[in-house]
Amino acid sequence: MANIQHIAVIGGGTMGQGIAELLASKGIETTVIERNDELAKDAYHHIEMSLDKKLAKWGITPAEKKMTLSRIHATADTEALKQVDFVIESVVEDLDAKLELFALCDRLCRPEVILASNTSTLSLTEIAAATERPDKVIGLHFVHPVPKTPLVEVVRGLKTSQETVQTVVDLLAQMEMTGIEVYESPGFVTTRLICLLINEAVYTLMEGVASAYDIDRAMKAYQFQYGPLEMVDRFGLDSVLAALERLYREFGDTKYRPAPLLKKMVRAGHLGVKTGEGFFQYSEDGERIMKEGQA
Amino acid sequence: MKILVINCGSSSIKYQLFDMTDESVLATGLVEKIGTESAMIKHEVPGAEEKVLISEILDHRVGMKKVLDLLMDKEEGVIQSADEVAAVGHRVVHGGEFFSSSVVIDSQVRQAIRQTIDLAPLHNPPNLLGIDAAQAQLPHATHVAVFDTAFHQTMPDYAYMYALPRILYQKYKVRRYGFHGTSHKYVSQRAAEFLGKPLADLKIISCHIGNGASITAVQGGKSVDTSMGMTPLEGLMMGTRSGDIDPAIVPFVIAKEELTIGEVSSMMNKHSGLLGVSGISSDMREVTEAMFDGNSQAKLAIDMYIYKIKKVIGSYVAAMDGLDVLLFTAGVGENASLIRERVCEGLSFFGIEIDKEENAIRKKEERRISTPASKVEVLVIPTNEELMIARETKELV
Repeated sequence: MANIQHIAVIGGGTMGQGIAELLASKGIETTVIERNDELAKDAYHHIEMSLDKKLAKWGITPAEKKMTLSRIHATADTEALKQVDFVIESVVEDLDAKLELFALCDRLCRPEVILASNTSTLSLTEIAAATERPDKVIGLHFVHPVPKTPLVEVVRGLKTSQETVQTVVDLLAQMEMTGIEVYESPGFVTTRLICLLINEAVYTLMEGVASAYDIDRAMKAYQFQYGPLEMVDRFGLDSVLAALERLYREFGDTKYRPAPLLKKMVRAGHLGVKTGEGFFQYSEDGERIMKEGQA
Repeated sequence: MKILVINCGSSSIKYQLFDMTDESVLATGLVEKIGTESAMIKHEVPGAEEKVLISEILDHRVGMKKVLDLLMDKEEGVIQSADEVAAVGHRVVHGGEFFSSSVVIDSQVRQAIRQTIDLAPLHNPPNLLGIDAAQAQLPHATHVAVFDTAFHQTMPDYAYMYALPRILYQKYKVRRYGFHGTSHKYVSQRAAEFLGKPLADLKIISCHIGNGASITAVQGGKSVDTSMGMTPLEGLMMGTRSGDIDPAIVPFVIAKEELTIGEVSSMMNKHSGLLGVSGISSDMREVTEAMFDGNSQAKLAIDMYIYKIKKVIGSYVAAMDGLDVLLFTAGVGENASLIRERVCEGLSFFGIEIDKEENAIRKKEERRISTPASKVEVLVIPTNEELMIARETKELV
C-alpha cells in the first residue's frame, strides 16, 4: 500500500474542516489550504472549537485534542502541495473553480499523488480532464458532519484506475471509515436521497400539514439523529438549495424542483445554524434553542 | 540461552533481551512513534548510559530491524549475531477461549489470535504486527505467544459467565476473560517461594494495582476469579476507568447527554476513575497530595478507591472460603503505603494485621508487611511481566 502520511485538504469550509479534523485525529499530518491567511486561521479556529465540543462530551481527552491539533496546519500558500502524499479538494461546488484547482494541483503535486474531489454533483470525468493524470483522480464524497459520520462515497471517473481505487479503499480502512463505491451520477446516493427528503419536508411545512417542530419529531421516529428540517439547518439552506437546483437541472425531473419556501428563506438570509436561524433557532455554538414546552 | 521479549502497541515496540542462564537483563528499550519520520528509540544496556535515537521508522518491521541493529552494534552491542536469539516471547493481550497457556506461534495460532481481534480491537492487531516483524527479522528463532488472559482460563463457568441471554455467549463469546494474567501468575508463584510453601496449598488474593488495576483470587496456583471482565473496564476504580457501575447508567447518560457509543465509551475509559471523581489527576500521587492539602473531592476519590478494593477482597475470601496470602503489586500496589494500610485496616475481621512501620518503608524488593500475629500473610511483591514472559518462552523452546 502507498504510504500516505501527509494530506492536503483544499478549502477550509464546513466540510473541509470536518475532513481535516478526521484525518488528523487518525494520525495523518493535515494541511488545510485556504484562499487567504485569514480564512486559513478561521478554519483552524473552527476545528479547535469542534474538538473542544468533543472534549466537553468526553469523546476525547485533552491529550488527544492536543495531538490532533498538532497535526493540523492551515495556510494560504499553495506551495505546500509539493510536500503532500494525497489531496482532497473541498471547495465550493463550481465546475470552473474545480477545474482551475485541479490543474494547479497537477502542476504542483508529485506525479504519483492521487487527487480526490469531495464533489457531490459534478462530473469526475470532466474534472479529471483538467489534469495529466486522469487515472489518479477520484471522487471522495464525505457526509456531514464528517467526524461523526464514518461513511464516504468513493466515486470512479471514467479513467480512474483500479490501483487508485485500491489505495483509497485502504486509506479509508486505515481511518476506520466505510467506503461505498458508486458510479458517477448527480448526487450519488446520499445527496440525492437526503435532498429529496428535505425538499419534501419543506413542502409539507409550506402546505401547513404540520409545524416544523412536529415534522422533525415525527421523522425522528425513523431513527434519524435530526429531523429533516434541523438537518437542512445544519447543512446550510443555501448548500441544499444549490444541490437541489443542480439535481433538477441534470435529471430534468420536477421531483427535484426546490420548494419555494426554501428559496425564500435563502433569499432572506436564513441559512440555518451558521446564521443562527433557519427552520429553528440556534445559539452561537450551534446548539438548537428550544422554546418552552419543547424538548 | 538468550530470549527477546516484545510488547507491541499500535505505534510502539517495548523490548527486553534476557540471558536465561542467570535471568539477567542484557538490554532493554522502547521504540515510539512508529509510522512517522521522527520515531524515537530509547535503548539501555545495564551499566551504560541510555541511548536515544531519532529516525524515520515507517512500520514495525523497520522498527524491529533497528532494534536488532542496536543489539548487534559492533561497539556497544550485546550480541554478535541475530542467531544468538534462540526465542522471542510476544506479549499478546487477548487469547480468547483458545489459549489457556503460552504457545509456540504457528499459522493456526496466528489465525486464532486474528479471530480474537473483535474482543481486543486496540491490542491484538499491533501484537500481530509485532509477531510478523519479529518473525521477519528472526526467522530461525522460536516465537512464543504469552497471553494476558491465559492464566484466567481456569475460572469456573459460574465465575466467568454473565447473567445475559445465552445467545450472546454463543454468538460473540461475551464472558469474563480477565487481564494482567502474566503478572498475577508471576507474583503468586513468587509469594509461595517467598513463604517457602507449596503454591498448591495456598489461597492467595493478588492485587495488581497500577494505572489499570485488577484483583485475582488464586487457589492452588489457579485463577478462580478476577475483577476485570470481557474488557479491562470492569472491576476496580482505576486511574481513568470507572470500573463497576450500574449498567443502566449507560443508556440513561446516552439519552440525557445525547452521546454516541464512542463518546460514552471514552467517558468511562478515559474520563472517569480517580481523574473523573477528583477532577485533579489520574495519578494516585497527585490525588493523594491534593487530599493532604484538604481537597474534599480528592479525599472522596481515594475513599471510593480503597472501599472498592476492600469489597473485592472480601468477595474473593468468600469465593475461596478462606485466605492465606494477600499481596500487592504494580505501580500503586508496590509504592502507595497509604493505600495498602487503609485497605488492610478495614479487613481486621479476616485476621489481617499489618506492621505499619514495615509497610511505610519504601523499597523495591519482595517483603512481608503483616505482623507475626496476623492470620493472613500480607506481602508486597514487585511484578516482572517481562521476566515471566521470558520464562514461559524458555519452557517451550
